[in-house]
Amino acid sequence: MKKLLLATAALAALALGSAGARAAQWDGGDDLPTNPLACGTGANPAPAAKAYDGGQPTNPANKAGKEITVVDVPKLIGIGYFNATSKGIQDAAKELGSVKASTDGPTEAKIDEQIKFIDNYITRGVDGILFAANDPVAIAPVLKKALGKGIHVVGYDANSTPDAREWFVNQAQFNGIAKAMVDNMAKEIGEDSAFAIVTSTFTTPNQARWIAEMHAYADKCHPKLQWLETVEAQEDNVLSFNQATTLINKHGDKLKGLFGMTSVATPASAEAVTKAKLCGKVAVVGLATPNAMKPYVNTGCVKSVVLWNPVDLGYAAAEVLRAVVDGKLKPGATEVEAGKLGKLQVVNGSEILLGAPYIFDKENIGKFDF
Amino acid sequence: MRWLLIRHEIILLAILVVALIGLGFFNDRFLTLDNLLNQGRLMTEIGLIALPMTFVIITGGIDLSVGAIVGLCAILLGYSWKNWGFPLPVAVVFALGVGTLAGAVNGLVITRLKAPPLIVTIATLALYRGLAEGISKAHSVRGYPESFYWLGQGEALGVPTQLWVLGACMLVAGVALDRTSFGRTLYAMGSNEMAARFSALSVDRTKLIVYALSGLMSGLSAYVLVSRVTTTRSDMGLGYELDVVAAVVLGGASIFGGSGSIWGTAIGLAMIQLLKNGLALTGVKGDATIVVIGVVLIASVLIASSLERRRE
Repeated sequence: MKKLLLATAALAALALGSAGARAAQWDGGDDLPTNPLACGTGANPAPAAKAYDGGQPTNPANKAGKEITVVDVPKLIGIGYFNATSKGIQDAAKELGSVKASTDGPTEAKIDEQIKFIDNYITRGVDGILFAANDPVAIAPVLKKALGKGIHVVGYDANSTPDAREWFVNQAQFNGIAKAMVDNMAKEIGEDSAFAIVTSTFTTPNQARWIAEMHAYADKCHPKLQWLETVEAQEDNVLSFNQATTLINKHGDKLKGLFGMTSVATPASAEAVTKAKLCGKVAVVGLATPNAMKPYVNTGCVKSVVLWNPVDLGYAAAEVLRAVVDGKLKPGATEVEAGKLGKLQVVNGSEILLGAPYIFDKENIGKFDF
Repeated sequence: MRWLLIRHEIILLAILVVALIGLGFFNDRFLTLDNLLNQGRLMTEIGLIALPMTFVIITGGIDLSVGAIVGLCAILLGYSWKNWGFPLPVAVVFALGVGTLAGAVNGLVITRLKAPPLIVTIATLALYRGLAEGISKAHSVRGYPESFYWLGQGEALGVPTQLWVLGACMLVAGVALDRTSFGRTLYAMGSNEMAARFSALSVDRTKLIVYALSGLMSGLSAYVLVSRVTTTRSDMGLGYELDVVAAVVLGGASIFGGSGSIWGTAIGLAMIQLLKNGLALTGVKGDATIVVIGVVLIASVLIASSLERRRE
């Protein structure tokens, strides 16, 4: 009897598991509405103005004009992208002269670890926290705790729920990134081809939004482009390489393009394509730092790399935090002065836009060093 | 005679007190009640699983699938509430039931097929994690009612709610291990399983119970975790098994079975958590903290085992 129960349970588990695993279309996992831009180079509608929806700290100490200690807790430390944002934050701190900033975070992109880091800094007592969230909802309780203790909270790169932070510096509009990525891919592989996506995890906020917008935009403007599958690679170099190689082997000739959604996945995918001697046959388009992609762009394996300037992103985040502490940026503002970047627009209520995505290619990639 | 039995725990306690005083000296925010209670809140998830893991390790086995069971139960809690329409209390009970079942499957395979626990639980680790990913299809479940968060984020009489739960479970587990025949059976099985069988102890049934308990507590840990972070993710519990085993082994349980205690596990658990916290507050960066934890673990185990050897 027991053996029968055991066998039945095992079979049921297998069936359930494989039924779930057959999931083909994946739409971004966060169920928020998408807003694809106009196809081609058509004019884009200006984003609708929204009321301020960020959170506010309770009784923050008045440190206008005084020195503040700020900690930056990115998704993880030790990768080129967040090294670059950290450099931007340090640049801003040096320029402002009144900000002491340090970067600390988990060595793996795990939300539980990130929460513990932020919690410890709350106990230590900092004046401001900059963050890039591994999970928008899970990070909210600890950020609200920080706000409750009078600590200023500004996010960049990956958002939390709006009421858990005061402002969020968005590198580019999600639909703008989606449009740039998909248009570049379609240009390289043609309208009637198939692509696959290598991302971090399915629940990382910014990647999830980009992929959702990419689907919406591709459905709208490149309907014949076929999406094969999306795989997770956890911001791990080796795993990204393995996943990309698996995709190449699995889909064979059908696969014409790979999207890399993180600054770790894109060079790893390019390496996988190079090792499989498919340069020129399989296109790699993705988000990455120029330094990581220089070897592949220079050999012609990768034609274009989409990004914004992460050094500018960190710089803007630090400037925004200083402006908030000094009282120069209040809820309801429509723009903020951000040092050498000039005036940045406020969109979507409490988001600050860095600018349009930047395309790195063979001509200009040599000029950058991050 | 009792003193000899708890000797390892006394040494550990001494090391813990020294470390606490040292860290408290370097940072004035470390030894505040607020911080210590908060750390208690954060260590509950590992702590709940460390209790049945102590039982498992005493019997000479190990359960590496606990992290995956946490992920599976967390996903099923959210999924059954949101997609299958279970009322929230029913969803919680369902998740706990699934955890127990997952642990029982481990136990059944280990006892019926006589497979080594290490191999079996590595296999089920992959199985349960895959199930969690497949069922959730990468969607998180959010938007729980406020009342749900009381366990993970609330307080009762000034102490975090989940710490009460951990304390109660610790008490029950400690008494069960020290004072009941069930506990003595565990030690007997770990010391010499063949002899235990021939002494007419129900070895297989006990094994099944401890692995099922391991699954149940993983489910409970998942409930606390989801309540604390207000969302479910399919990667929850990733890496928990290593933290749990570290706490248990640091607490004096021999990995070969036959010795260990709940009190030792509790001290081991507290030591790891408070060290991590104290170092972070002192300004040691994340990657350096891991190095220090590793060194302290090795040092504690060396000191304790050399003192044991000298006693013999």
